[in-house]
Amino acid sequence: MSNPGQDNSVWESIKVGEDLGSLTYLFTEEMVADYRRVVNNPRAAYPTVAGRHPARLFYRKYASVMRVPNMGQESQYHNPPLPGKSITISAHIADKYIRREKTYLVIEAKATDEDGRLIEVSRLIGLARPVGQPALAEVTKKWSN
Amino acid sequence: MEQLNSGGKKEKRLLKLGDQLHPITQPVLLENMIEFEKIVWDRGVNSHTDTDAAKKDGLSKPLASGQNQMAFVHELLEKNFGDAWVYGGRISIRYIHPVYAGDKITARGAVTEISDINGKTTLTLMIWCENQDEIKTAAGTAFVGQPEVSCSW
Repeated sequence: MSNPGQDNSVWESIKVGEDLGSLTYLFTEEMVADYRRVVNNPRAAYPTVAGRHPARLFYRKYASVMRVPNMGQESQYHNPPLPGKSITISAHIADKYIRREKTYLVIEAKATDEDGRLIEVSRLIGLARPVGQPALAEVTKKWSN
Repeated sequence: MEQLNSGGKKEKRLLKLGDQLHPITQPVLLENMIEFEKIVWDRGVNSHTDTDAAKKDGLSKPLASGQNQMAFVHELLEKNFGDAWVYGGRISIRYIHPVYAGDKITARGAVTEISDINGKTTLTLMIWCENQDEIKTAAGTAFVGQPEVSCSW
């Protein structure tokens, strides 16, 4: 049973397996440098960590109606991205469930570069809630110390 | 993970059950949280960058994104495992306590299992981040081969 105070109509309409499409962007030296600077790690291998690939494609479709704050992540890393190469990400809804009255979505994104190198496969575990509704009360209370 | 042998050359060090990884510690700065949000995908003002936006979400102040902690975990694993992490590492992690500007986060790990399948060794690691008060902010499991000296990226 989900949170009785929350409108779950959008969450309920989302189907496991739903295709969230794809997106291609140019991965640049500047992105690498920016990432390494803000995480204070001059040799960071995966600047795509900041790219939030699953969320990016989810929000392209659902930003006006739903938020999925990141409660967790499952990732496989295959090859570090190379600056100067374009990266294509594709995503889908991998799972959805209710736990402790909270609605969750699992969004999986796969990233490959223009040479076909598999970069990473990442799953975002998102606490799904409609836009305009604050984070669930107990989470807010727990996190608002 | 590497160490220098008697000849001053880097050599591979095999991890054993129970071994701890060399931890990494990073400060969390608001200016970096804001910049982090702009990298690759600038999604505007949100609860990771702005006090008013955070309050609308029921939070008292901006909190660092989970991906920000993930960056620290990556640093931990890159520095301890080199190419073994970068080419083939896997992780499952949950963000369990908020991280705010001004916190100091330490990422840690320990070997909990070593398996050998068809001659390929995989270490199972317990991974976590903790703040300056030793409160765990993220926890999970990673899977990776024995450390490599090479860092080819």
